[in-house]
This record gives sequence, C-alpha cells and structure tokens, in this order.
Amino acid sequence: MAVLSKEEIGQEEVEKFYQFCKKSIDMEVASYLEACVRCGICAEACLFYMGENVSGRIDPTLTPAYKADLLREIYKENYTLLGRLKKLFGFGVKIKPEELKEQARLAFYTCTNCDRCTKACPMGIDTPRLVSIVRGALTHAGLTPKDLADATNLSVEKGSPLGVDTQTFLQRLEFISDEYEVNIPIDRKPSEYLYIPSSIELMKFPSSVASAAKVLNRAGVSWSMSTVAHEATNFGLFAQSREVTREMLRRVLQGAKDLGVKYIIAPECGHAYQSMRFIAPNVFPEEWDFEVLNIVELIDRMLTEGRLRLKGKVLKETATLHDSCQIGRRGGVLREPRRILKELAEDFRDSVLIPEHNICCGGGGGVLVIGDADYYRQKAFISKMTLFDKTKARTVVCYCANCMLALTKSSQELKRDYRFVSMVELVAEALEEET
Amino acid sequence: MTDVAFYDFVRGPLLRFALFVFFLGIAYRFFRVLFLGLPPDYAKPKGNPYLMAVKKIVIKPTMGWTFNEIFSRRAINFIGGFLFHLGFIGLTFFVPAHALLWKEITGIPFPVLPNIVSDILAYAALGSLIALTMHRALNPVLKLLTGKDEYFANFLIAMILFTGLLATRWAGGGSYIWLLSLHMFLADLLILYIPFSRLSHFVYYFLSVGFMGWNAGKRGVSF
Repeated sequence: MAVLSKEEIGQEEVEKFYQFCKKSIDMEVASYLEACVRCGICAEACLFYMGENVSGRIDPTLTPAYKADLLREIYKENYTLLGRLKKLFGFGVKIKPEELKEQARLAFYTCTNCDRCTKACPMGIDTPRLVSIVRGALTHAGLTPKDLADATNLSVEKGSPLGVDTQTFLQRLEFISDEYEVNIPIDRKPSEYLYIPSSIELMKFPSSVASAAKVLNRAGVSWSMSTVAHEATNFGLFAQSREVTREMLRRVLQGAKDLGVKYIIAPECGHAYQSMRFIAPNVFPEEWDFEVLNIVELIDRMLTEGRLRLKGKVLKETATLHDSCQIGRRGGVLREPRRILKELAEDFRDSVLIPEHNICCGGGGGVLVIGDADYYRQKAFISKMTLFDKTKARTVVCYCANCMLALTKSSQELKRDYRFVSMVELVAEALEEET
Repeated sequence: MTDVAFYDFVRGPLLRFALFVFFLGIAYRFFRVLFLGLPPDYAKPKGNPYLMAVKKIVIKPTMGWTFNEIFSRRAINFIGGFLFHLGFIGLTFFVPAHALLWKEITGIPFPVLPNIVSDILAYAALGSLIALTMHRALNPVLKLLTGKDEYFANFLIAMILFTGLLATRWAGGGSYIWLLSLHMFLADLLILYIPFSRLSHFVYYFLSVGFMGWNAGKRGVSF
C-alpha cells in the first residue's frame, strides 16, 4: 500500500501513468476534456497564477486548463476517431520522462483542488477532478513528491500523517483535558455522536480540540472520541491513492461501528469532511450508514435549535472569514460559518460578495507538506492577502486547521501580522456560563 | 452559366452533404461521450442536483459578471465572447436570407430580424472575433493554449461574416453571384468542419455545465 517517491523515471513509470489516465475516463471526465474552448479564463481564477502575476511574473503554465493537457492528449488518442487514426500512423502521444516531472509540479505543487476555476469556467469544467486523475496516475507510477509520500505512508503505518499513534493520541487527550479543564469521553458506548479530530489540531492547535469538546458537552449530546478512528485527515486523497483512502476510511468506519454512533462529526479539516461526507459512501456503499456533519454545521444547527446559547460578541476587532475550500465551496458549508460569525464578531466584513468565490489558503490538497512547493504557496498567499487587505481586517477567522497552519506559516514567512483564529474556539469562548 | 451552376451546387447538394456530415458527426461525438457511462454515487446529495443542472445550463452564460475581478481583467473574453455568440446564433438563423433558406430545408417558418439589427449583430460579431483573435495571439496564457485549430476556425468564421456583410450591402455589379456563392461555400466548409474541431463545444456545453450544476446541487452550493 505504500506510496512511492521514485527518483529515476523510466519507461515503466511512463506506461503506468499512461494506463492509469486511460482507465480513469468516464462520461463526466470526457465531457470536461472535450468541452475546453481554450479561453484561459481559469488562469485568472487560479490563486497560484494570480500570485505570480501580482509579483510581475507571468507563468502561463500555471493555467488550470494546461494542467490537464497531457490527460487530454491521452484521452483523445484512445477514445476519439481522429486521435486513434493519428496514433495508428505514428503521431500519438510520446511522453518523455522529464514531462512526468513537469506533471508532478503542475498537479502536486501548483494545485490545491480548490475548485475556484470551475466556478469561473464558462464551460463549467471541474479541473480539480482532472488534476486528481493526474495525481492518481503519478502516484500509481510511484512518483508522489517525497514529503507527501512520507506523510501518507506514516498515516497508514502509525494512523496519522504526523505520526500520532493510539498511545500518543491518548496522551494528548489527557494533556488537553487537564490543560483546558474539559471532559473528553473516549470509547464511550453507546454514543450518538463520534467526534474525530485531525492530528494537526491535536498536535498544533490543541485548544481547537478542547473547544470542540466544550461545545459538544454544552450541547448535551451523547458523544465520544474513538481510539480506533482517531484520525480524520485522509492523506490518501492528497496523493490520490485509492488504497490509502480506503484504509483511512476503513478505520473511521470501524471506530464508528464499534461505538454504534449515528452521527460522525468531522473536525475543522477540509479533506476530512470531504472524504467522510462525499467519498466514504461510495467506498463502503453497504456499510456507511452515518450522517456526517462538519463541526461548524453542527454548531449552527445547535444554535438554531437553541441547544447552544452565546453570551454575546466576543470578537471586538474587525474580522474577516477565510473559507475552507473542501468544507465550503466543495462541501456546501458556506452560509453556516457566516451566520455563526455574525453572532460572534462585532465588525465582521466578508471579503467576497458571493461566498463561493473565496480564495484558498494556498496550502490545501497536500501543498503545505511539500517542501519544494513553498515558493508557490507563498505566491498563492499574496492573492489571499489581497482579499484580507480589502476588508482592512487583521483578524481572520478560519474553520480548517490545515488552512490555519498554511496561512500562519505563509504569513510569518512574508512577515505579515495577521492573526488567525479558529471558529470553534471562538464559539467555545462565547458560550453562556452554565447556570 | 458556371456561376449559376456553382451557386446551385453550394446551395443545394454541398449544403445537404455538409448538414448530413454535421449531424452525423455531432451525434457521434455526443453519444460517444454519453456511452462512457458514470459510476454510481451513493453520497446523499445536500441539494437538488437535477434542478441545479438544468438551472446552470440555462443561466450560466449570463453569470460571468458575478466574478467581477476576473470579468474586469478579461473583459475582452467575456464581452467579446458574449457578443460573438449572440451574433453567431442571431445571424445563422434569423437573418431574412437565412430564415428563408432554413424554411426551405426544414419547412418551419423562422422569425426574421430587421435588417438594422442583423447589421449591428454582424458588425459586433466580426469586431469581437477580430478582438478575440488578437487577444489570443498576444496574451501569454492564450498563446500557450491556442493551436492551429482556433486560428483556422476564427479565420473561416471571419471570412463568412465579412463576405456575408459584403453580400447584403453589395455595390459591385456583375460578380455579386460569385461573392454570394463564396459566402455559402465557406459556410458549407464551416458546417463540415464543426464536428472535427473544438467548435463542437456547443454540444459538450450541455454535458459539462450540466455536470457542474449537478455537482453544485450535490454539494449544496448555489454557485
């Protein structure tokens, strides 16, 4: 199952890449590949292209449409009449090993699968879907970038991309419940809700986990964490390795079944929500019988139902919201965080007119863990900054730990003074005292 | 009588042949993609995917302006593209001379645009096509994405628009019939060319925008 990161690229890798691309074509993918009219509007929607552009350097290869061009060529020569004829007469696609390196740069370093280009495309082409296929093909050929491959393998071996095994998990939870004085039930049967944190929160933003626990306790639901399903993040999706995705989801399924829960609460983590809400039902069509909610979605529901009450607006300064692409644009949780933030902040200024147009943090889709992609991540942050600065807010509320980590890192590297806060933490802070 | 013979040929057998190839080719391209099939999706949708797919197909072409910062940077693409498509559809079907031809072929009477509107549409379409082609040749992103296909198609369509305009406002005397024949010959070529090129994007529009809407409905987003 291990994801490989080969240095040498030979004919075997090229062949594997080619066959994977060929097999991945279905009606949806083919219509995206056929529909492209080469207008290049997607470039203006891509945060990587925009970031380079702001710095005065235009790199046309960052255009989303171009990232899928090799896949398009492979599709054409296998599925279209003219393409087949061309191949027959020896004018088919000839992939050189260096080209696969370039594909890795395009698919892994300069795309976060944020979906903004889809919204701008006049033909509605889902480029993230196409880039995912290229990623999958590269992983199949053993050409995943080293940092990402290491983290992915670690998540299979130890249970988490940061190496958090069950023992570390329990130690961290003990620390969190002591430090933040919160009761965290572990493996409690029967429970109605299963809350699964991501290891980024566990190791880097422990107060996020504590806050989620406080919120769940206050809402009065029967909930628990699980030692089996203790990692929500799914690195299989970053590397597009079906085996790893399945294995990580299998652990979640096992944990949820053991506790007999009805709801699974995804933490402030984009791909965790994406994988459990939209992918798991297709990986385990028979067994996956849970309602998956994001923690933000749950809080909004509890506030509406009156099961949670806030004492007032705890955020005094001007604040703006950063949307997580996989929870928001690709997950449909966009109105909820805005409703909550209006209750929490005295001066909330949205940076976009339409929530679906928000810009990604630049570190999603595994870009954050790839050291070689740092240059692109920083450039992408420049496009993000233009939105923050438009609102004149220095405080940015996030609902994804990976976004928060990426934004904090880029912000420090570019010497900016933004403050990033977690939404769940704010909610926990604003909870009415128990009477 | 060669001029009349040529006129009759391009208006009669060649047009019929071109239309036959067009429909066959387009149907082949559409169904080839359709028959690739889809894997089942068991994830419970958050909204109504089917309704959203239809909605997107209907309103998508008018939604470019909502992305205001992209719109401002790519005004040529959006405005030129919109005007061109408007002109192309209006001119192809609703210009008096064309409406007559379509009625002859299909037997259905087509509504007719006033001459002044046809003229405005033709100038707008030709102007925007030239602007779009220049944009293609100069913008670094478009330079990378563009192939011979696009330039050939743009040239062909521009020639058709140009000869069409000349034909309606002709003051050149005896070779009028040659000009008209040239206009129709080029149009036949275009009809023949569409199924073999990216100009057939109009059929895939329904699929790709439909899928985009379907996905938006599945995820419960409105855009």
